[in-house]
Amino acid sequence: MKTFAYTIKDEVGIHARPAGLLAKKAKEFESVITLEKGGKTAAATKLMAIMSMGVKCGDTVNVTVEGADEEKAAAEMEAFFNENL
Amino acid sequence: MDYRQCAAEILRELGGKENLISAAHCATRLRLVIADNSKVNKSNLENTDGVKGVFEASGQLQIIIGTGTVNKVYDEFIAIAGVSAASKDEVKQAAAAKGNVFQRVIKTLGDVFVPIIPAIVAGGLIMGIMEALNFMANRGIISINQSGYLFQIINMLSNAAFTFLPILIGYSATKVFGGNPYLGAVLAMFLIHPDLQNAYTVSTEGVAQSFSIFGLYNVNMVGYQGHVIPIIMASLILATVEKKLHKIVPEIIDLFVTPLVSLLVSGLLTFTFIGPLFVAIENGVLWFVQWLITIPFGIGSFIMGGIYSTTVVAGVHHMYTVIDMGQLAQYGYTYWLPIASAANVAQGGACLAVAIKSKKAKVKSVAFPSSLSCMLGITEPAIFGVNIRYVKPFIFGSIGGAVGACLASVMHLGASATGVTGLFAVLLHLHAPIKYIIVIGSAAAVAFVLTWFFGYKDKEDAPAESKSTVSKEIDVPEKEYNDDTVYAPLEGKVVALADVPDATFAEGVLGLGAAIEPAAGEVIAPADGEVSSIFDTHHAVGLTLDNGMELLIHVGINTVALNGEGFTAHVSEGDKVKRGQPLISFDKDFITSKGYPIITPVIISNTDDYKEIKTTESTEVKRLDELLTVERG
Repeated sequence: MKTFAYTIKDEVGIHARPAGLLAKKAKEFESVITLEKGGKTAAATKLMAIMSMGVKCGDTVNVTVEGADEEKAAAEMEAFFNENL
Repeated sequence: MDYRQCAAEILRELGGKENLISAAHCATRLRLVIADNSKVNKSNLENTDGVKGVFEASGQLQIIIGTGTVNKVYDEFIAIAGVSAASKDEVKQAAAAKGNVFQRVIKTLGDVFVPIIPAIVAGGLIMGIMEALNFMANRGIISINQSGYLFQIINMLSNAAFTFLPILIGYSATKVFGGNPYLGAVLAMFLIHPDLQNAYTVSTEGVAQSFSIFGLYNVNMVGYQGHVIPIIMASLILATVEKKLHKIVPEIIDLFVTPLVSLLVSGLLTFTFIGPLFVAIENGVLWFVQWLITIPFGIGSFIMGGIYSTTVVAGVHHMYTVIDMGQLAQYGYTYWLPIASAANVAQGGACLAVAIKSKKAKVKSVAFPSSLSCMLGITEPAIFGVNIRYVKPFIFGSIGGAVGACLASVMHLGASATGVTGLFAVLLHLHAPIKYIIVIGSAAAVAFVLTWFFGYKDKEDAPAESKSTVSKEIDVPEKEYNDDTVYAPLEGKVVALADVPDATFAEGVLGLGAAIEPAAGEVIAPADGEVSSIFDTHHAVGLTLDNGMELLIHVGINTVALNGEGFTAHVSEGDKVKRGQPLISFDKDFITSKGYPIITPVIISNTDDYKEIKTTESTEVKRLDELLTVERG
């Protein structure tokens, strides 16, 4: 299991478009990727679940990656967050 | 605005932290669960600086603070109130947990039993038939080979779930109480361990072995077969201890220490304390019912028939063989069995009324076989799976039982042996079959009729939500709606998703669907469902429809940048919505004047769940016209 935390810098938070891109990215991996913020969790592949977390700018999201390709998945997800959020 | 002062005033006006159960917030509101709503000074709350509105909905006190400030007030609020931040789910759970003790007990029983129902319904029915066959074969009425493999196998299969029912209950109950369900199963296994004397043999053989607790009282080495309540209580202790331990035991040894200690504590407590307590209560009940049925003129029997099913719920019934045996020895007949039989059949009658009256396939599919097995004397599926859940059928079932039992007593009906109740027990009354049929017939009929007229109504699964939204006139065109069509949430020109001037939508990153160039500034719910997300900026709404579809309606492109200007939301996250209900209003001209395209993609975000998504061929849609059709994968 790999985990990392990321604090959102994008000023509008995880709204529809970034959530969609995030879900699309997460679907590329075999590993199960879970987001957590303030006790709420969401599967990173589920657009609606991600959006309903209501992640805002400045919020810290904990990302958990678990599965066969977790090393690669965690690294790429972290890169994704850095680039897009 | 002074957040801290605002939070302090809110806390004071709602009756201090003693009156606060939990707190959460959404985009605009504080959502609080309050212990005693009468202590809340609503008008003062509304006048508090920073509070824009106060209302109660779905067991929560919701205080509107506003976007961007609610989280700051919330942070101060939980700091001074000393509660930990709760997720919205927890607040909802806490809200559901309110209600009086009786309602909570019934709800808990339901939560425990509902998942078990599929395992016991069919078994119960077959078990009833098998017991009857066995009984008839023993008396030479029919000739079947009871030692044949087929009979044996079916017999074992049908009663397996009942023989080990405590394990299912232990698993389910511990899960309900938030513990590890596997530990709950182990605890129940311990309570019906084969090395313990089977509880069903106590009434005929007596207690084989007991040991003394500090010389104070004796604990019988008897299992908990046929018990429900002690198992649930044991599970409650287990889950409580386990949850506490998880918090205080260091993680390195948690996996080893917590299960062991929680099992040990709950097992010992159950065996040495709850168990003996129940044995005492059971003996008391036994003494009481034996005394009760001696009250003449059918009065005692009437009461007994009425409370019989309650004693089944309490798990005392496995001791009743004592009464049957005693009476058979004394009089040659047991006057107890017709009472029990009437009570059982009556519960079956009540359950049958639910089965026939309900229009829900799910309710019917449980209630029909349950009522049948109940008529054959196996009552658990009907009592726990149906009647108690809806409460009234259980009460009317009990009344039916009372009537039947009273008749039995007045007619002086006794059974010549014991072993089965229900329809086949007519074989125990071959000296007076008509009387017996009158007894169980009237018991079932009374229960059925009462339940039919007063005892059951199909309810919406969702609890009725008090109006939390601006309730506007909902105007839904009359026509046939189906689940495989997405109806237009706003009117306008239909545009293919690929032509939306934004790559994320056009390439289907968010899912497939269509877009609408709006003709009017209102988004409505295309079908019944729940608001799974609504952005603080009110420019988009995510719905989870009751048919499982997840829909994203995104008004305009890049409109997130408007930060809510030009948009009004009529619902908030978690709200249940009806088809046609307004979700978002927007000022079309304002948005266009700011330079944003107003085109509104309507996206099925769980596109992967469907094989095909087709857009309507019409170029214009009115609200709730067909927009998309899907084929399920």
